[in-house]
Amino acid sequence: MNNHLLSLFQLCDSNFPTGAFSHSFGLESYIQADKVHNQATFAEWLEIYLMEQLVYADGLAAKIVYEALDDENLDNIWKMDRLLTVQNIARETREGTQQMGKYMAKIAESIFDAPMLSLYKERISQKEAFGHSAIAFTMAGHYLNVPKQTTIMYYLYSTIANLVQNAVRAIPLGQTAGQKIIYSFQPKLEAAVNKIEQLEEIDFGAISPGIELSQMQHERVNVRIFMS
Amino acid sequence: MPEWTGLLELDAERRQDKTVTKNLYFQGAFKIMRPVYHDRSGHPSYYVLNPGGGYLDGDTYRMKISLGERAELTLTTQSATKIYKTPKTHAYQEAEFYLEEGSYLEYLPDPLIAYKDARYLQRNTVHMAKGATFLYSDILTPGWSPDREDFSYDSLRLINEFYMEGELVSYDHIKLNPGEQHMNGIGFMEGYTHLGSFIVISDKVEAKLIDQIYDMMEQETEDFKVGISELAVSGFTIRILANSTQVIERIITKSHHIISQEWFQTKPSSLRKY
Repeated sequence: MNNHLLSLFQLCDSNFPTGAFSHSFGLESYIQADKVHNQATFAEWLEIYLMEQLVYADGLAAKIVYEALDDENLDNIWKMDRLLTVQNIARETREGTQQMGKYMAKIAESIFDAPMLSLYKERISQKEAFGHSAIAFTMAGHYLNVPKQTTIMYYLYSTIANLVQNAVRAIPLGQTAGQKIIYSFQPKLEAAVNKIEQLEEIDFGAISPGIELSQMQHERVNVRIFMS
Repeated sequence: MPEWTGLLELDAERRQDKTVTKNLYFQGAFKIMRPVYHDRSGHPSYYVLNPGGGYLDGDTYRMKISLGERAELTLTTQSATKIYKTPKTHAYQEAEFYLEEGSYLEYLPDPLIAYKDARYLQRNTVHMAKGATFLYSDILTPGWSPDREDFSYDSLRLINEFYMEGELVSYDHIKLNPGEQHMNGIGFMEGYTHLGSFIVISDKVEAKLIDQIYDMMEQETEDFKVGISELAVSGFTIRILANSTQVIERIITKSHHIISQEWFQTKPSSLRKY
């Protein structure tokens, strides 16, 4: 492992303060409906969330942004920033990713001396950009010369690891069960990265109805531990 | 320019209290009937017909609807849109809507029925000026199949893009892919067969209106699953999973009634097709 990879790895830490611990992205709706209640049902949800939402939104955006950074095509980056936000039909999930994106850009910018991250942070504070972790993370990966597919893989890994930590608290699951799920997701993350490589721009934002509905329904959940 | 299976262009404008057709053009497998002014209002309803009876392999349809300032109209279909098997190329429909300031468009087509081995891609692009209002619904239903499977179609993809004053403000991309997905599983259709959407974009949408619609839906006793959420622009989306077209239609109609009551103190006119 070289130092660059280690630097990017820092952003994957579930203690990295983006606020990911307060978002379940619809998982809490399933927990309350007792659809997700143990390791097996959680792993099933997590795989669907990865393959049916993350891949088409965050993952595909990360790929497009990485390529845009290679081509210095900034317009494409701002376009993806907007798309990532407005394609989120569920308000809480949309606001959650925006909040997390803002923190990710801010902290990443303060630890790496990356001009793109400074520009992104500046645009977010000027309300010229919405902010999304997938974009800030990709900017960091690109700056650190981490290859595209590795950057995407690490981003997806960090999202999965955060959700597992949240599930451990909320379902609850044992810490060991959580770690086993993260380990078992290695081939799935690889499959996700391969799938993203094959997607085209028209595939962006495709979502399955159930996943989205659970995120919309969360707004009306009475007792909650997560903001989405 | 590709040869469209069906092509339709309609421009409407407001003259005093009445919205009238300014330009109309259609060819191929799209036809439009003379507009009906329900309840002696100045608000016309246009009915689109598909004389071909359904969408087949490789069919391409295009619609362009433009509303001038303060024009108001309802666009619907004469009957359900049927998508048959598409062995070689998916069926495709694109629709562009241009809404000038203060205009009001309801696009409420009948359900879409997807039969065995059907693949369909639909793109709606809506360009709105400030003060314009757009109401849209769709209902996706599985068609009868010889082996009585619920999801015998191959894939349905519906993309809705909304631009306000030239800027993308909402992007909606639903994908149902029984060819690859486990439809009854968590995250997909959750044990239901039909999917409905009702999208409303307007400056006039307030949180109170959304609460009112939510309360109405809470009162419904049929078996369905519903979500309602505010968009990044002033407006909201409702998604409904159910086992019949009727349940979805009733929720959309009731929501539509609440909107008309709140905004205009009127009831929407029945589209009286049958």
